[in-house]
Amino acid sequence: MEFCVEEVKSDCVELLSRFQTSDSVRFQTFSKIWREMNFSEIFYGTVNHGEQRAFCRLILDTTSSFFMPPYSFQIRVGGLYLLYSLYHSQTSSPPEQIRLALKDWKDVKKFEKDAVDAQHHDVVYILRKLMFQKAFVFAAMPVALSFKKKRKLQRSVPCEQFMERPSRPQELINIDLLEELSNVEEIYGKLKTSVSSALEQSESSLNLVCKSLAPQLRSTVVDFYQWQQRRGVPRTDDGGGEGTSSQQECSNRAQLLASIKSKAFGEATEAPKSRRHRQVEVDSTGNSAGPSSSSGYSRAKKMSLKARTYQNIYVSGDSWNESPETTCIHRLSALDFGPEEKKKMYNKFHW
Amino acid sequence: MAMHSNSVDSGTNIPEYEYPDVNTNIFHIGSFRNEWLKRLDRSNYAYEKKSEDTFDANFAKEMGMSADTLADLKSICSVGSLRCHPDDQQPDTNVVPSDPTLRTLIQRKKRQDFRAASKVNKNRHDLYADELERLTGGIKPKAAIDMVPEGDVILTINVYYPANVEKFTCVRPHVTLLMTGSHTLAELRDGICCVSDLQVCGEFSSTPDVAPEFISKDHFKSAYFFFEGVFYNDMRYPECRDISRTVIEWQKAYNVPLYSQAKMEDTRFVDLKVKVGFPYLYCHQGDCEHLVIITDVRLTHANDCLDKKLYPMLVHKHRVPTQKCAVCHIYIGRWLTTNDQFAPSNPCLFCDKCFRMLHYDTKGNKIGHFMAFPYVDRGAFN
Repeated sequence: MEFCVEEVKSDCVELLSRFQTSDSVRFQTFSKIWREMNFSEIFYGTVNHGEQRAFCRLILDTTSSFFMPPYSFQIRVGGLYLLYSLYHSQTSSPPEQIRLALKDWKDVKKFEKDAVDAQHHDVVYILRKLMFQKAFVFAAMPVALSFKKKRKLQRSVPCEQFMERPSRPQELINIDLLEELSNVEEIYGKLKTSVSSALEQSESSLNLVCKSLAPQLRSTVVDFYQWQQRRGVPRTDDGGGEGTSSQQECSNRAQLLASIKSKAFGEATEAPKSRRHRQVEVDSTGNSAGPSSSSGYSRAKKMSLKARTYQNIYVSGDSWNESPETTCIHRLSALDFGPEEKKKMYNKFHW
Repeated sequence: MAMHSNSVDSGTNIPEYEYPDVNTNIFHIGSFRNEWLKRLDRSNYAYEKKSEDTFDANFAKEMGMSADTLADLKSICSVGSLRCHPDDQQPDTNVVPSDPTLRTLIQRKKRQDFRAASKVNKNRHDLYADELERLTGGIKPKAAIDMVPEGDVILTINVYYPANVEKFTCVRPHVTLLMTGSHTLAELRDGICCVSDLQVCGEFSSTPDVAPEFISKDHFKSAYFFFEGVFYNDMRYPECRDISRTVIEWQKAYNVPLYSQAKMEDTRFVDLKVKVGFPYLYCHQGDCEHLVIITDVRLTHANDCLDKKLYPMLVHKHRVPTQKCAVCHIYIGRWLTTNDQFAPSNPCLFCDKCFRMLHYDTKGNKIGHFMAFPYVDRGAFN
């Protein structure tokens, strides 16, 4: 199912972004978008039961990630609606369940509580309905793990546009805190003046406190908030660039590492002194102008040993023509007359 | 022989990623189960489904809703509102609809068109896999005592084929088994089929009829599992020996922190402390080693197979191509001959019939010089 991971993700993202632009959390809005996109057709056209199951598993797992933080509340609602719709539209029987990991349980509960507090009846109804219909299976992790270590670190980048604007500074430095800070500052100032005399006050060693801490904090937070607002508007120009800058740094670093590694493997390793007499002679009089010479650009893949051997070994013309294929033992004594059988070519579909 | 301690604190029994998307940290399965059961209502994991009307009524009461509002809500959130086609025009779900807009469908249509254009033979292994799936879903036992209890855990375990294959391929051939928490490791061992268990040692050219009595499985019964620094040895039979002892003695000689040992038949899955997604070891026949990965641990569900006797349950098996007889090319090879004056190659595979026809006369006497060994093909369990 590796071949359709990107496509499935992009279809889900498309539906959720339409839901996001609708600015609503109502199921009615969602089902309208679902019908417009004919989304239940996404299950049609699989070849056999095995593929059907695997596909249902993939799409449910992809959608579950949208139901969890760090996405915004509206996107999480969209994710929940999408899970509900996919669960009921799937063609596998018995149906594939929605996996819920133990570590995500408290996020789900918090989400439910927020929905109840905000009186979003359809959200709560659908969540509880899914629970009631036993659509969830309670697992250790969101996906089954089989130690698939990837060569390139493909960090699953969450959709930037669905994520909540980080608002931690505003949450931390709120009005109450600022008031208290300024109160404490005042009291401290008064205590200082009452304890020390006028002479000592002018000594700089006692001036340890920033004089106008609360107003400074407030203005910093306001600046940050305004910057966020400005950043939010021109999404296509600045937002995209800034959002992907960290990604670009990561991929630059990865490319650099890959190029260093490929250069290290590109040259034939010199054997240690004890084995020098056995050093493999690399015949470069043949087609040596191939990519085996260090040309400066970073190769992602080394040529296979078979390909490199064919490239470097020079075989005289006659012996090359003699044995184009391996000997078939069961055909050692075949009848000489009769038409030559053409080799059957099986075309394989490449995704 | 130190037994590993069972003392765990609840904080560490919530599985988290140790390496993202690769494997989790170590946790105790029984405690993980308890953590889930603490958080859930009985109705969440019970097999029985209550009536929908009760659910609706309770919901309305809790949210303080009138009957009309509830009815509206129900119709808005009904599954019917998701239907993209009218009831009387339901399309064929086996075919990709024409003019698809979704990227997944566009991709699938390309493949559909390709298959329609070229003749594609049906893969019989897919048929076997479908058959297997049909047999393993949602079975309820006749006797209540065989029922997997509610709130038990089910583990999905991949046992990989031994890595003594000449070619390195990107596919990792494996067998997937399901086990419940209350089963023991010994029961898992009994469910693992490996061809090396069927190997017969010895040369049988003079006595071809005696061969089947000497299967390795009966001779060499020792085995162990290795999870998180503990060797779980099979000690059920008097012939079983502790083959992990060699490793422990090596550790003592090199002053390396010691692994501990336990008994396979006494350890249930709920007692294990493991990492999900992390490779472990199963060793039998002295040197036949299989990688074992626990890919998933979850609570039981009403749709699972609930008959305890059917576990360990096979849900996936990689089918290996078999090697056929060199003469008829129809039957799977059962005999391997070396230094055979009649054979075109050394070694050479024969099926039983061709082997006897070629090497023995009508009275059953051996003709010519050759050495014969019983051969078990890797795909014998297909």
